[in-house]
Amino acid sequence: MNDLSTPMMNMMQKVLDVTVQRHKLVVANMANVDTPGYHTKDLDFRSELRRAAASDGDETPMLVARSVPGLLERPDGNNVSLDREGLLLAETQMQFGLAVQLLKGEFHSLLSAINGGGGQG
Amino acid sequence: MSMFSALEISGSALTAERQRAEVVAANMANAETTHTPTGGPYRRKEVVFASSGNRPFQMMLAGFHPTLSGNQPAVRVQRVVDDPTPSLMRYEPGHPDANKDGYVAYPNINPVQEMVDLMGAVRSYQLNASAITATKQMIQQSIELLK
Repeated sequence: MNDLSTPMMNMMQKVLDVTVQRHKLVVANMANVDTPGYHTKDLDFRSELRRAAASDGDETPMLVARSVPGLLERPDGNNVSLDREGLLLAETQMQFGLAVQLLKGEFHSLLSAINGGGGQG
Repeated sequence: MSMFSALEISGSALTAERQRAEVVAANMANAETTHTPTGGPYRRKEVVFASSGNRPFQMMLAGFHPTLSGNQPAVRVQRVVDDPTPSLMRYEPGHPDANKDGYVAYPNINPVQEMVDLMGAVRSYQLNASAITATKQMIQQSIELLK
């Protein structure tokens, strides 16, 4: 954190961190769609983001992944649902895009202030 | 803590699914093979997938709270096993591999079963390829921040 970064930038950094971790879990679930005995893993976005926002440093704390309950288990012990993962993949992707766009907006207003409000020269 | 490990995970799945498709192709190509270097007919092969980061015992030790370290569950082909089902015996007395009763042992391969397995492999491959596309777009978006 330095003089140039706004609370919005710090928050978006945490959002991006948690979103990337969630995206990685979704990708890992998709990779293991045919692995016998594999159980779907996910993290609770809301509580993990709250935990990350509560930590002061630039580093996001270790996130906690859990097995997801209530999914139908196939005879080989695998319970990855393609619909669920496909939906979550799109969700994390859009969430990431949103955070990046908001961050971009912050940088642009910062640049505008540096240029004395005279556009992005 | 980088997006590139997500690419590695999807990449491991692509490799595993391609190996599965290769084994299916070998099974279909050898559906009529009665003679192999080890003797006897070709045995139908199957792949066994294993997850490299999925260790339930350690998860239990950790009290079901596995933290997200660098240990992401990539997938790999653990081994290729022979299908134990017995060979099909066909009466072909003129065949060089026929036994004393005139029966030839053929591999027990069902083309329908192999096609279904192949389609499963192709679909899983496509799924992981689209996951890679999504990850690539996200990386591209964060690079756009530099502009």
